[in-house]
Amino acid sequence: MLSSNNLLKKVLPNLIQTAGAHRKPRWLPVAKSKIYRIPKRPVITEEERLELLRINNNYKTQMRAIRRFYHQDMIKQKSSRESATSEMSQRLEAEEWTRCIEINDKWNAQVATEREERRKKEIAAMEEYALARMEKKDILLREKIEKASAEIRREKELSSTFITPETLDSAIDHAIANPTDYNFAIDLKGNVYKGRDTMAAPPTEQKASATN
Amino acid sequence: MYVYAMYLEIMILTGCTNRPFYHISVTHRRRLNSQPVIEQLGSYDPMPNINNEKLVALNLERLKYWLGQGAHVSNPVGELLGLSGFFPIHPRSYMAAWRNRRIERENMAKQLELAEKSETAA
Repeated sequence: MLSSNNLLKKVLPNLIQTAGAHRKPRWLPVAKSKIYRIPKRPVITEEERLELLRINNNYKTQMRAIRRFYHQDMIKQKSSRESATSEMSQRLEAEEWTRCIEINDKWNAQVATEREERRKKEIAAMEEYALARMEKKDILLREKIEKASAEIRREKELSSTFITPETLDSAIDHAIANPTDYNFAIDLKGNVYKGRDTMAAPPTEQKASATN
Repeated sequence: MYVYAMYLEIMILTGCTNRPFYHISVTHRRRLNSQPVIEQLGSYDPMPNINNEKLVALNLERLKYWLGQGAHVSNPVGELLGLSGFFPIHPRSYMAAWRNRRIERENMAKQLELAEKSETAA
């Protein structure tokens, strides 16, 4: 038995949770076992029927009266609400309005003074903050300049040893006259012998053998 | 102008298995179960609590308002309101009462008969 509801549930599982009808669908026929079943009619005696009729009629009459009463009540309330917009109430409302405006103005003035004070304080704080920042930046800049000037001074001192076009020839001569050999050899004891071709002076202090 | 039966004050079953609980609500007549109600006016717990009370909560002011708007009242809610004294007693309450009394009377008669039989046998 596949009702449309079940089909929907299969297609859209748990997307929409609805309280499905927990009975068999309308279009299904009467079950075979129930075809010839004739439901038993309730037995109501004549007395009971008349009594029921009487109390039902009474109840309906009373209910009608109650409902009419509340309906009239509603109409009355509505009309009273509408009459609230009459001249008298309009004058009262206008007075109330002016009073409200006065109070509102007072509050506005109070709030305005408070706001002014607050703004002043805020501006002072902002100025202070900006000045502090500027000072800080000044100090930083000064430090930077000092550092740079120190560097320049050092470079200037060093520049006396630089090779210039005038001193180039003499520098070359000097370099040729004093060749430097960076090659060296090491023996097992860790002694360093500088120079490759020329036998340089042997190391001054002999090291102890590393092997023994 | 009289508002025709647009709204209905009914009880809506909200409990779970073996635990009935009802909301007394104002709804549109053709509301589906998945749709919201207009307003909830109270609740009814049909299971007696430890003090053997069945609790009903009602917002009578709103009930009056909705009655003024032309709302209709379903039978079970009418019974409840009748018992609470807001409405006249519902005919179904009377009917249930006299039927219960009749069943009780019959049971008593049966028991008496049985007792007489046992006496005559002894």
